[in-house]
Amino acid sequence: MLRSTSLRLAVLYTLGFALSVVLLGALTLYSTRAALSEQFDARIRAEAAALTQEFATEGLDGVVQAVRERDRTPGALDYGLIGPDGRPLAGRFPSSAAKPGWATLAAPQRDGEVEPVRVLTTPLPGGYHLIVGDDEERIEALDTVVLQGFAGALIGVVILGVVGGLAFSRDVHRRLSAISGTAEAIIDGDLTRRVPARGSSDDIDRLAHTFNRMLDRIGALMESLRQVSNDVAHDLRTPLTRLRQRLEAAQSAPAEQAEAIDGALSDLDSILETFAALLRIAQIEGGARRAAFRQVQLRDLAATVVDAFAPSAEEGGRSLLLEAGEDLVIEGDAELLTQMLVNLVENALRHTGEGAIVRVGVGVVDRAPALWVADNGPGVPAGEHTRLFDRFYRLERSRSAPGSGLGLALVAAVAKLHEASVRLSDAEPGLRAEVVFLR
Amino acid sequence: MKILLVEDDKEAAAYLRRALSEAGHTMDHAATGREGLMLAAGEPYDVIVLDRMLPQLDGLAILRTIRSAGVKTPVLLLTALGGIDDRVEGLEAGGDDYLVKPFAFAEFLARVNALARRPPPQEMVSALQVADLRLDLLKRSVTRGGQRIDLQPREFQLLEYLMRNAGRVVTRTMLLESIWEFHFDPKTNIVETHMSRLRGKVDRGQPQELIHTVRGAGYCLREPD
Repeated sequence: MLRSTSLRLAVLYTLGFALSVVLLGALTLYSTRAALSEQFDARIRAEAAALTQEFATEGLDGVVQAVRERDRTPGALDYGLIGPDGRPLAGRFPSSAAKPGWATLAAPQRDGEVEPVRVLTTPLPGGYHLIVGDDEERIEALDTVVLQGFAGALIGVVILGVVGGLAFSRDVHRRLSAISGTAEAIIDGDLTRRVPARGSSDDIDRLAHTFNRMLDRIGALMESLRQVSNDVAHDLRTPLTRLRQRLEAAQSAPAEQAEAIDGALSDLDSILETFAALLRIAQIEGGARRAAFRQVQLRDLAATVVDAFAPSAEEGGRSLLLEAGEDLVIEGDAELLTQMLVNLVENALRHTGEGAIVRVGVGVVDRAPALWVADNGPGVPAGEHTRLFDRFYRLERSRSAPGSGLGLALVAAVAKLHEASVRLSDAEPGLRAEVVFLR
Repeated sequence: MKILLVEDDKEAAAYLRRALSEAGHTMDHAATGREGLMLAAGEPYDVIVLDRMLPQLDGLAILRTIRSAGVKTPVLLLTALGGIDDRVEGLEAGGDDYLVKPFAFAEFLARVNALARRPPPQEMVSALQVADLRLDLLKRSVTRGGQRIDLQPREFQLLEYLMRNAGRVVTRTMLLESIWEFHFDPKTNIVETHMSRLRGKVDRGQPQELIHTVRGAGYCLREPD
């Protein structure tokens, strides 16, 4: 528990607060004292001046009278009048040791005790000395009040600090343990575990969210890797087996070797092509390319693709047309977007008959920039629309046509990288594939 | 032509050496990055072929080192299949061309040839001429034997590329990359159809064909013998 950061912080804060309370107390004590003595001194000085005035107007008797009167009043200051011979004439100060100015003298109080009293001795004409003073008990009483107040505050701070610190550190400790518990579970192989979030969106909650997002990402990457190894295992085995058989046949029939080598090379090329497509899809799904995003003009991109494929399409008896209105610019990877559009166009050209029209379009769909390829061919049953994006998925009727079954999987991966949505819909007749860049 | 190959696969290197010598070239082989760097920095070569992945010293590190040492020899980078950012990285490090492994020898040879005789970049020409075929880069017009030939912009680009590489084999992928900037292989024969249209305009009805198909490799535009 002592190794918990939050508890250490709480203890540190409590100590800091306690120290500030002590410092504040000392400061308050010092300044109230200074203010009080200032006030007392002023009162003593005013009394001394008043009695000096009394001496000047009423003479010695007047002063003696005044001193005696005041001495009898409860709560008044302490007074004394000393004659030229050093004897006290009035008041409670017995000593003749009075010298002009401020001093602290011992004076008997009404209750009989002798207390230190701060006095001001003022010389009067004729060798008389007037003593006015105030005992320091009042200041000390105030000191006690201030000290008691601050001692109470200090105890309060320490108790609150300790209790609050313990509660706070237990809470933080519990939430951090949840995170490290999740991490431990993942180390042990359970990648589905996630850190529970409280929904308070404080810093620990944000940490939990970031942690969970990181786990999602790692999960996606591992899934994509697993998928690639599965795909490689499944779908490269068939062509590799065919290649092997071809080579074995060539070995036993030397007369057909040249033909067999040609066949083997073309088998090999298609294997490499599948392999390259798989790796490419995996890399795109890994999201590594997002850093290389630039501004891409969709109309230029579509125009390049249409321009490249139009002659081949015409040769196959199909028309490839560009429908582009305004120029739209998105953030993206031009190379991947081009490949995506090429795959859609090749798909359309491959799955339509002679006389078909394939339109490549750029425009605004749902208030977002979009690219589409629409044909007027046989189309695809609506139930198959989403499955077309799976790797190696091929319609029953096109199994025999050339193609790896990876074209649309790559389209889906590129679209996802660009946070775009891909939709297949019925073009009535034909198929319309639409990529909408939502971002 | 003298070529340096920096490649750790000894069998692949031996095969390339044999094939290159059949094509009339000599080749030095370095099996490690360090050896490659020493040869590349010390000997004069027409082309350096660098594998990206090498023991000890990575191909890109060698490339950066020799470029910062002022070696201007054209460099062809060999990259592994699937590394889709490799090309950009390689060209940024000072490479002149790249080729994805595994490759056909014809492709390799065509690229090495194209690199070795690449004209210096500062050389500005306003017209290209092969036999009686003339391409004016400023007016963007083409004539054959004084007769004007009307070309689409893309066909013009295609012809310009062939004429700049006159006498050399130009492969399908080289055309895809330089004319359309397609760094992948479409399944449709787009190069073939564009080429046949171009040949129809340039060679049809002429006594001498200038554009030739090189089987298993690509195309070549050359003076008649």
